[in-house]
Amino acid sequence: MTEQEIITTVNAALVEEFELDATDMQPELSIYQDLGLDSLDTVDMVIVLEGTFNFKIREEAEIKKIRTLGDIHAFVQRKLSAEA
Amino acid sequence: MLTEQIKTILMNLWVYSLLLLATAIGIILTPVLIAGFVITYRWNLARVVRHMIWLYGRVWLLIIYPFVDFKREGVADENIPPNCVFVINHLSFFDTYFMGSLPSSDVTFAVRSWPFKMFWYHFFMRLAGYLEVEELSWQQTLDKGLSILHGGGAVLFFPEGHRSRTGQLQRFYSGAFKMAVASGRPIVPLCIMGTDRLLPPGRKHLKPSTVRLRVLAPVDSADYGEEGGHRRLRKEVKAQIAQELELMRHLNIDETVGGSA
Repeated sequence: MTEQEIITTVNAALVEEFELDATDMQPELSIYQDLGLDSLDTVDMVIVLEGTFNFKIREEAEIKKIRTLGDIHAFVQRKLSAEA
Repeated sequence: MLTEQIKTILMNLWVYSLLLLATAIGIILTPVLIAGFVITYRWNLARVVRHMIWLYGRVWLLIIYPFVDFKREGVADENIPPNCVFVINHLSFFDTYFMGSLPSSDVTFAVRSWPFKMFWYHFFMRLAGYLEVEELSWQQTLDKGLSILHGGGAVLFFPEGHRSRTGQLQRFYSGAFKMAVASGRPIVPLCIMGTDRLLPPGRKHLKPSTVRLRVLAPVDSADYGEEGGHRRLRKEVKAQIAQELELMRHLNIDETVGGSA
């Protein structure tokens, strides 16, 4: 999966799950302040990403450090590279 | 046009003055009422205050009666489980007042912090044990909610989190659905329409309106026990509410057209 494919897939999954506007999906945006996610949503986000990319990430400490959409893209890229 | 303006002025004088009066009398009589309900029903303080807030909602329905055509429709009282999770779309500050039309007074509201900032309500909301979801952690909210549900009461959520500025349904947050699945109690979807004409966000004066509150059939949360099942429950309940609101809008348009023909 290319970097752009990962970004597109992550964005599409989050747009579908959280009913976000696809045009808002800029990597610098805070998932809390700008996209309006709450702490429960991050739990759902993990389930969605696990289902989309077929990996397990719920135990990863890095998840707690995610603040922006770009952080999610980078995290997924690292995770997929490590598993390749 | 002039008649409508006069009616609007009369409505605001009538409703706000009587609401103020009812609130003042309610506050003054609170100690007596609490003692009376505790002695009569042997309820704890939070349960008594929830009952008083429900009665306040009933008084509200009486006050607005001359200017607001209100009906509760859908599932009959006896088919609404007393300990369930209500979810309702959110259009107006006064949406909560119409919950006085629900059959049980034991309803705990799960709300954001801003309603708690109104000093004249803050005290009663705290006494009633309302859940301030922005202040509590999710685990605290869940624990308190489960305790209420297992104790026979209901919890009510506005899953959109905010009043809609457009009248359209916004995204739903997951809390209510997670609580329903965790408790094994059903979700009862409520659809409210017309309160955005009565008092939308950003306006201070009321307008005469037609308000409908429709109670949909309870949804058994036991069917959503798989991992992440609350997400499926959330999506399905939202789809039900959206579909019902659309039907209600069409019905309202038909009634309006029929009424003016």
